[in-house]
Amino acid sequence: MNYNFDWSVLWSGQTGAWLLDGVLVTLKISSLAWLAAVALGILSGALRTAPITLLRWLAAAYVEFFRNVPLLVWMFFWYFGMPPLLPHALQEWLLDHGAEFWAGVCALGVYHGARFSEVIRAGIHAIPRTQFEAAVSTGLTVPQAYRLIIVPIALRLIVPPATNETLNLLKNSSVALTIGVAELTFQTRQIETYTARAFEALAAGTLIYLFLCLAIAAFMSRLERSMAIPGMIARGQSVEL
Amino acid sequence: MTRFLGFGLVGFLCLMISDPAAAESTLAKIDKSGTLTIGTRRGSPPFAYINQKNEWVGFSVDLVERTILPAIQKKLNKQVKLEKKESTPQTRIPLLTANAVDLIAETMTDTQARRESVDFTLTYFVTGAQFLVKKGSPIRGIQSIANRRIAAQQGSTNAKIIRERVPSAKLLEFPDQPAAFQALAQGQVQAYTNDGIQLAGLRAKAPKPDNWVVIGEFFSYEPYGMAMRKNDSDFRQAVNVGLMDAISSGLYFEIYEKWFGPKGEVPYPVSAEIKRFLQMQVVPK
Repeated sequence: MNYNFDWSVLWSGQTGAWLLDGVLVTLKISSLAWLAAVALGILSGALRTAPITLLRWLAAAYVEFFRNVPLLVWMFFWYFGMPPLLPHALQEWLLDHGAEFWAGVCALGVYHGARFSEVIRAGIHAIPRTQFEAAVSTGLTVPQAYRLIIVPIALRLIVPPATNETLNLLKNSSVALTIGVAELTFQTRQIETYTARAFEALAAGTLIYLFLCLAIAAFMSRLERSMAIPGMIARGQSVEL
Repeated sequence: MTRFLGFGLVGFLCLMISDPAAAESTLAKIDKSGTLTIGTRRGSPPFAYINQKNEWVGFSVDLVERTILPAIQKKLNKQVKLEKKESTPQTRIPLLTANAVDLIAETMTDTQARRESVDFTLTYFVTGAQFLVKKGSPIRGIQSIANRRIAAQQGSTNAKIIRERVPSAKLLEFPDQPAAFQALAQGQVQAYTNDGIQLAGLRAKAPKPDNWVVIGEFFSYEPYGMAMRKNDSDFRQAVNVGLMDAISSGLYFEIYEKWFGPKGEVPYPVSAEIKRFLQMQVVPK
């Protein structure tokens, strides 16, 4: 490969500022979408195990509809399909104030919300049924039992798969570049087109994603340890043979 | 664990930087394989695209097939096949440097920054940035886009110029033509800027071409060239001879007429000035 690497393009001129901008936008869109996804996930995940058939159906419909349509389609839907349904003045205002960013948040949020929902449902199913019966027999109502007993335990159980989902969400945020959100992947492409330094830009993007993901994984792993209920959930030690 | 990770990373980077196939000249590579491989587009009419008969055609493709390929065959004194691969703005330079293709023939603007990484043929097409707007739009050119929402192709020189000259314009960059056109059609943006010829091509392919106009003076200079690996002057010479012979013999203008003439895919007459410029690039035999 006769290619002379010039890593200085990554910090000379404007490119450093672009990369930083890209990281910030990626973090912003990912964290907002994560909050939405977790909220939707907890709600629909809990409803999928609820003792009321209609609610279970509604939650199942949400999950199947949103997780089985590609994320790219959701991006286009929220950006191109939604605004025409709004009143004209609101539409113009939104378009002047970063509609693409909020469309990206909605798309990532509902798509990953459906996936989080399955993770949380699995967590709830992992709790013995007697736990729920015991909660209700102490006089708690069903919503109280969920809010105070079932969901808090389930959330502790699902940290490893939730970490997985969080990392997927972060990486999937790059799909938002298709609707013009200037996130990290967008900026690495931008650097490539301005400097013609494809390998350097791509390597920088790769390392930043890797670093962000490792940081999230490390944080979640600490969270799992500190939140564990002693005696109830043993953090999986490797099995000694 | 962390140490392993460190080793892994270093290994990965070494792989990227290492130099398995020491530089072999492109002509020697073509001579050995009997194939010239070009990187081009499937969806960039009329320069390179798949037509309704499912053939990979276009102005750039024709130039390679009818002017450059014969010149290389003459130089090597043997039959050479042509192979086409898809290349995008993001992949075209890596494809070249990784020896996956020998020549990029699509709609690549020759720039000084790009010349740091690749070499270019002589200029075979000249265009400049303009705007595509709905018929009746108040936008007349770069002078009237202040505070308006403007779509651009991601990372294009046009976007850079708008950012510098009209910072109040709200610039939205899309990775491809269809998304940008969709945004324009829906009112997400009020104008779409790109190279004039590309906008003309987009308009010609639109469901109702008469609803759209390409307007404004050129506010950038976009000379298209074909790119090749750096420091391979024998190959560059062979390719340029093909193009120069075609310009001086008139074959180039025949091909131009086929694609951009009044009956072509995208009518786009060549100005006398540009014709003269093309001819003056031809050095004497």
